[in-house]
This record gives sequence, structure tokens and C-alpha cells, in this order.
Amino acid sequence: MKWHLRHQVDVSVARGGAVSRRDFLRGISAASIAAGTLGWRDLVSLEAGELRKAGRACILLWMQGGPSPFETFSPKPGHANGGETKAISTAVPGLEVSENFPRVAAAMDRAAIIRSMTSKEGSHPRATYLMHTGYLPTASVKYPAFGSIAAQQIAHEGLELPAFVRVGGGGRDGGGGGILGVEYDPFLMPVAGKLPTNTALPTSPARHDRRLDLLARLEADYAATSAKQEVSEHRKLYEKASRMILSSQMKAFDLEHEPQKVREGYGESQFGLGCLLARRLVETGVPCVEVVLNGWDTHFDNFPRVKELAGQVDQPLAYLLADLAERGLLDNTLVVWMGEFGRTPKINPRAGRDHYPRAFNVLLAGGGVRGGQVIGKTDEGGAEVEDRPVAVADLFQTFCKSLQINPAAENIAPNGRPIKIVDGGKPVAELFA
Amino acid sequence: MLSSRRLISAGLLLLATCGSAWAGGIDARAAARQIDELLAKEAYGGSADSQAAPVARADDETFLRRLALDLVGRPPTPEEVTAFALDNAADKRDKAVDRLLAHSEFGENWARYWRDVIMYRRSEDRALLVSPTLVTFLAKAFNENAHWDAIARKFITATGDVREAGETAIIMAQNGNAEDTTAEVSRIFLGIQIQCAQCHNHPTDRWKREQFHELAAFFPRIAVRPVRDGEMRSFAVVSVDRGGRDKDKAKPRRGALEHHMPDLNHPDQEGKLMKPVFFVTGQHLESGLSDKARREKLADWFTGRNNRWFARAYVNRMWSELVGHGFYEPVDDIGPDRAASAPHTLDYLADHFAGAQYDVKWLFRAITATEAYQRDSRSRASSEATPFVACATQRLRADQLFNTLMVALGVEEGGPPRRDRNPRAMLATPRGRMNATFGYDPSNRRDEVAGSIPQALMLMNAPELNRAIKASEPGSMLSQLLTQLPKDEALIDELYLRCLAREPSARERETCLAHVAVTRQRAEAFEDIVWSLVNSTEFLNRK
Repeated sequence: MKWHLRHQVDVSVARGGAVSRRDFLRGISAASIAAGTLGWRDLVSLEAGELRKAGRACILLWMQGGPSPFETFSPKPGHANGGETKAISTAVPGLEVSENFPRVAAAMDRAAIIRSMTSKEGSHPRATYLMHTGYLPTASVKYPAFGSIAAQQIAHEGLELPAFVRVGGGGRDGGGGGILGVEYDPFLMPVAGKLPTNTALPTSPARHDRRLDLLARLEADYAATSAKQEVSEHRKLYEKASRMILSSQMKAFDLEHEPQKVREGYGESQFGLGCLLARRLVETGVPCVEVVLNGWDTHFDNFPRVKELAGQVDQPLAYLLADLAERGLLDNTLVVWMGEFGRTPKINPRAGRDHYPRAFNVLLAGGGVRGGQVIGKTDEGGAEVEDRPVAVADLFQTFCKSLQINPAAENIAPNGRPIKIVDGGKPVAELFA
Repeated sequence: MLSSRRLISAGLLLLATCGSAWAGGIDARAAARQIDELLAKEAYGGSADSQAAPVARADDETFLRRLALDLVGRPPTPEEVTAFALDNAADKRDKAVDRLLAHSEFGENWARYWRDVIMYRRSEDRALLVSPTLVTFLAKAFNENAHWDAIARKFITATGDVREAGETAIIMAQNGNAEDTTAEVSRIFLGIQIQCAQCHNHPTDRWKREQFHELAAFFPRIAVRPVRDGEMRSFAVVSVDRGGRDKDKAKPRRGALEHHMPDLNHPDQEGKLMKPVFFVTGQHLESGLSDKARREKLADWFTGRNNRWFARAYVNRMWSELVGHGFYEPVDDIGPDRAASAPHTLDYLADHFAGAQYDVKWLFRAITATEAYQRDSRSRASSEATPFVACATQRLRADQLFNTLMVALGVEEGGPPRRDRNPRAMLATPRGRMNATFGYDPSNRRDEVAGSIPQALMLMNAPELNRAIKASEPGSMLSQLLTQLPKDEALIDELYLRCLAREPSARERETCLAHVAVTRQRAEAFEDIVWSLVNSTEFLNRK
């Protein structure tokens, strides 16, 4: 609700004009306007179920390259495949993780580990696409990334920021809106801590307003002759973009106002800043934020490199869970740590590990997931899933369950094919028990 | 009925005199007149509904901007607009078509279009490495007036390093995968989405699953291999005619010299051996032939006169790009079980395009000479019910928009796009950024292409754009025009000419003058005007 009210204030301040406010008010019943109040009940009937989902969100910490399970959350000390990596105990008795994650270990009561993820896709781009969309890439259908699905399914109407933000990373392998359209593409933030691209007005807000007014008047003839529809859509888009950059919600991108203690909690690494930005965006109402950390493709020197990468993740991840919990956001926010596949159990001659999709691990926390548990297991050498295999579709069903998205809902591809949000699979029910 | 019309067109053929529009078949402009007659009969003739009546002819300014954007991918320059307006010749529209078709920007424009058609369906970003070579290859081909069958043959039979052979693009974009390449060549050159039959017999399509896999049997020996050449990393499309089958039954179709249709009940098994058969004509080959032999035969059969889908797919796509409404939509799904608007018109145009030996420029001359192309425009939303009564408003492709900005603001692109070992570095150029933000898959229905927030933000706020608009920026267009044209009215006219390739209406001129008067600061007021024109709907579209 607070978004709605803020939204209204922003519209009138930013656009200073009756037109925008009228557009906004058109969505609300005349009765509530006449009564002069905007009550909770009006909003409930207006939102038709949207409010129930409001507040649900997802933060995906994407480890590009394919993190080794052995050096992260499924160590195999004492086996030749485990290499030099030691296991340490965690806040949960009997649950051990690799020594590279001491702070996450201390927070293990908040997180669950799936040690039996399994897929068949061992090429980076295809596996990256698969683990973002739940589907393999095809030429005929561009499947939407799960973040785009979340943006489509659970974004709150009052949100003035993009509903799916991707921090770091680049390229298209992680997918975008696909068949849902550009509206659901991830909004790209190359680095956290700066304003997003092209969101700083080159002029004063007053002059921007003047320009928009001039634009509207100059469009009148074109609209009258041949392109009424185009002009009207264009205008709505410009109003939305202007509303966004003048919105108070833009403060979410500004990390400077965050207390020093919190900034220190997340650490000063780019990934840490990304996690802090993710929390701020989720707090503001953005339903999906992805934070990318590159470099996990450790074909050589696996052990020091993973240690270094884990060092970038450990503190921010642990602090993110604590921070979300402290703000009462963890119950509604699913945090997922994963990459596109795992790495070969056998250590190669260059002290590296190669691509291995047959058995890998995923860490989940929040969003209804009960922490402190382990799902599935691999054999002694970590080569095969021995118990409770979790397929990619099962994982996406699990995301849907956490975010209260109907996985059977269909979107229509341009070629007329109905595409389910998730095709097959079952949620990992134990996670929510 | 249709055959009698063909006789009439044969008669017109004898009368036609314009040599440049000849291409071994019927004169392109005579064909255009036939098309308008056919359309009047089967698309909008005889209806009392005023919504169904054709709209008036577009004025010269609208026509020239439309034509320049369509043929050379940029708006006309102020000089071109003025010269065209002053030309009193009756055939000045035909002459403008011929002039633009002869321009090197013609090849470049359509090369970029086909780059988007192919690369938007890429399976991996690394395929972007072939993009610059693809554009170079196609631009040259179109400018030398290579015919469409010759171009298709190049793509289908391509081999070589992707940095040197742009025709490897379709295969590179599908990473050498036989089934995905099969689907793409069928979609692009025939407009038939045969891959719908890849997994199961489609309930509404006549093609059977077997037929998809018989087509895939032309491609089992293609592969994309990494190439190391000093520091530059590249890939090559190669033929793999030797080497045994993969012994590992878990991967039955990797490295196989023949294509096998997987058994859906036993996906781990090798599946059924498929012989190469072309589903349209039934022409077939035996197993065991070399990759080269298979693909060359397929190119023969794809482009043969007894395969009408080849001409129809190209004609339908180009008609849709130019008139704004395809006979079939989406443009790459025109199979025999789809319904066409004005099917006889399409047949007529496709048959004569084939008769002109698939001469690409012949087709551009024919379509742009039709009344259907030369009419005023309407948005798709309002002309949905009756296609072809007006030319439909089209959203500019990213490259057209980039070129439009350069003409409007008088800036140079600054050298050719960088070729870099990292394909993502190519996106870092101004044109690359525009493509990343405004690009769309041109095979999608155009009325479903929507604007995005990052697009609006870029045009509103991008620092480089606003520098180019600024009057105080040395060398900027406004810094010069403000002194050259001291009269406000003249300056307003000049800005409209540059940005929208037309004069302002009386009301628009009034609005601008009023803005100058209210703002008081002349430079600032004109910056606002340029900003508004660049951010207008009309700027982003072609009428």
C-alpha cells in the first residue's frame, strides 16, 4: 500500500500536471475518489490477489562459470576427489561445509543445501540459459528468465522501478523477457553503487517537464493523422520512464545513505555492494534481483581460485541473510546461490576441475525454506547422485512454490505455442517442511 | 481467373519500356500495377465499408522518408528532400527508387536486417563473432545484385572461418547443431516452421516428424570447430566426412556421419537412420554421401523453380517489411496450412520474382511501385481489419534509428565498428549500444514490438546525445544553425527537415514559436525543440 501512496505523491510532484494524475486515478473506482479516501479495502478489491503476493521476492546470487561443489558446500575430505579442501562444522550439528565459507557456516541454520542437483548440460551458454529459464535454448522460442517470470507474476503495481534487475554480468546467455517481451527484460546494472545508465536528467526536473509538455503538444498532429496508437503508447512509456527516474524509489540505487555499519557488514567488494543493492531493491518492492559473480570456471589452479572467490561471497551472503532477517524480509525473500553446473570430481593435471553437470549443489534460504537442512547426497567421491536427485525442473518448481507463482500458468510464444512457466518436475517439498 | 490476368500481364510486358526494371521477366512496374488490381479484387474491393477503402496517396515528403529508410536505412538528407520536392517529373518516385537502389547503403541496410534475422536466434553469444563478417558479406552481395537463390546457396553450403566467411552465420548461430540448423534454413528460406514436427507430429501441420529428420539428414556432417590463429580466437564451420561414430551409446547423435531420428520411447538408443529427403518435392539422396554433396543438392532443391516456398517466403517477408503487413504473419510461418491475406497477389508476385531469377532489386522495384506501398500510413491498430488499404507505420530498426540520429544531429559515426576477439566489445560502440537497447528480432510481428524503459531513458538522457543537442557544444548542429539562421521560423523549418524530413505544419510552427517566446532564452528553447523532435513518436517510426 505504501507504494501506492508514494506513487501518487510522486506523480503529482514530478509531472506537476493533472494529466498524469488523472491517468493514475483512472485505475481506481470513482466511489473511493468521491469518498475522498483510499482505503485498504479499495486496494484489496483493486489488486485482485496481487497484494497477497506483495512482498514476495527473489535474490539470485549467480556464480558464473560453474562453482565446484567440493570447495563450496559439499566437501569430500578424506577422499582423493576432495583434494586439499577441509570441511568445517556449522551452526547445525552434523552439517559440514568447506572451510572456504566460515561465515555462511555460522549462519547455516538459515540456509538449506541441495547436494543432489543434476542436469545434462555441460556447455556454459546452454547451461547458463537452462539454469535461468528452466529450458534449453531453441531457435523458435525465447524462454523467459525466471526473474522475468517473477517480474510478470508478482510485481506490485505501485513499483516504479524495473521489476527485474541484474547487477554485474552481461551478455544474453542468462536470458531476458523472451516471449514475455522487452517489458520484462532485466534492467542491467553493470556495477552497484552508481546510478543506473541514463537515469540522470541532463536538465533540471522543471525543464524536463517543459520538454515533455512541448513534446506532447508537437505530437498532436502526428497522432491525429496516422499514429494515434503509437503516440499514446509512446507517451505512456515516457511518463513511466520519467516517473521512474524522478521517483523516490530511485534512492534504492544509492548506497551512500546506508549506515556505515551495514556497508561494512556487506564488505567493500563489488559483489558485496551488489548484495546490498539487492536488499535495498527488494525492500523497495523489486521482485527479482540477480547479482552476478564471474570467475568460477576453474579448469586450472582450482583450489586457490575458489578460495579467493568464496572469500568474496562468504561475508556478503551471510550478512545478507542476517540483514534480511533483521528487517523481517527473509521469510518472504528467497535467496538462491548457484551456478550453471558443478565440476569434475577428479582433479585434472593442472590442479583444476572441468565442467560437470551430473552432480552439483545449490544453496537456498528464506522464502519459506527451512534452514539447516541438506537435501540429497552424492556417493563417496561426489561423482554420482546417490539419493534424492533434483532435476532443473524440480528446482524451478521449488522457486515457484516459494514465490507463490503458479508453475502451470502458460505464456504464449509468437508462434502460438503455449509455454508453461515450468515444464514438469515437482517442488522439493522437504525444503518447506 | 488468375490465368487470364497473367495473360494481361504478359501483354503489358510487351508494352513496358523501362529497361532498368527488367530482369529477364516481367517489368517490375508493370507487375506493380497488376498487384494493385489483384489487391483491389481480393483484399478490399467491392466493400461498402469505409474502413475497408484504400486511403490516399502519401505526399512526397512522407514517401521519400519512407523509401529512404526502407531502401538505404536512413532518412533522406535535407538536400535530398529539397531536390525531390522541386523535381516536377512524373516519374520522380521511380527515379528515386533507382537512385537509392544503386547506393552502397542499400546493401548495408539489408545486410544488417538479415544479420538481425539470423543472429537474434543464436544459441550462444559467442556466435556474435560472425556478425561483422556477415554484414560485410551480405552488403557486398546485395550491392552487386547477387540474386536471392545465389545468396541462399552460399548460406546453405557454407564452410570456413567465421571471421572470413560471413555466409557461415546461420550454422555458426546454431553452433553447428544439425537439427537447429535444419530448423533455421527452413524457417528463413522457406518460411516453414518444420521444427514443430521435430518431437511429434503436429496436429495442424501436414509435415510429419520423419520429414523433419529427413531434412536434418542433409546436415549431420556439419560442425563448428575452434580455430587458433595467433592471438585471435575464432571458429570455423567444417565438413566432417571421416571419423567413426561415437561408440558411446549414451550420446548417439554426437559425431555421427548420418542423422538418426531419436526413438521417443528409448531416447538413449541410436534411433532410426534417416536418408536425406526434401519434404517439399520428395527429392532424395542415398546415405553415405559427403557433406558437400548433400548440402549442394539441398541448395539446388531449395532454390529450384518447383519449390514455390522459396520465392514466397522472401516475397512475403519483403512485402511485410515494406507495406507493413505480411500476407502471412508472422513472416516466417507461411506453411501450407496457414491462411494468407490476398493469396493470389502473393502467388503472382512470388511467381514473377522467380521468373526474374530471384532478382532482389526487381522485387524492391515492384513493391515500391505499388499503390499499396505509396499510400498514406495508418497504425496497425487501426488497419488491422483490412490489410493493404494503407501502408502501416513501422517502428525503426535500431540501425535505422542510429542512422536517423546521425542525419538529424549532423554527427559522424566515427570509423567502422571494431572487430574484436571478444564479441561483446563490439557492443561497446555507439551503434552497438543502440542495437543492444533498441534492437528486436525482425521476424516477430511488428505490431508486437514494444518500446522499453531503457530505450526511453537513452533518448531522453544519454549524455552523448544531449551533448550533440547542446547549443553551447562547439561544432554541434545547433551551435552552427543558431547563427546561420537568425530567423526563428527558418530555424524551425530547418530542424524539422533534419529530424523528420519534412516541413512543420502551421500548428507545429506556432507551437515552436510560442515555446521560443515563453522560454526567452533562444538557444535553450531550440535545444528543447530538438530534444522533443528526437524524442517524438514520429522520429522513432517510419510512416
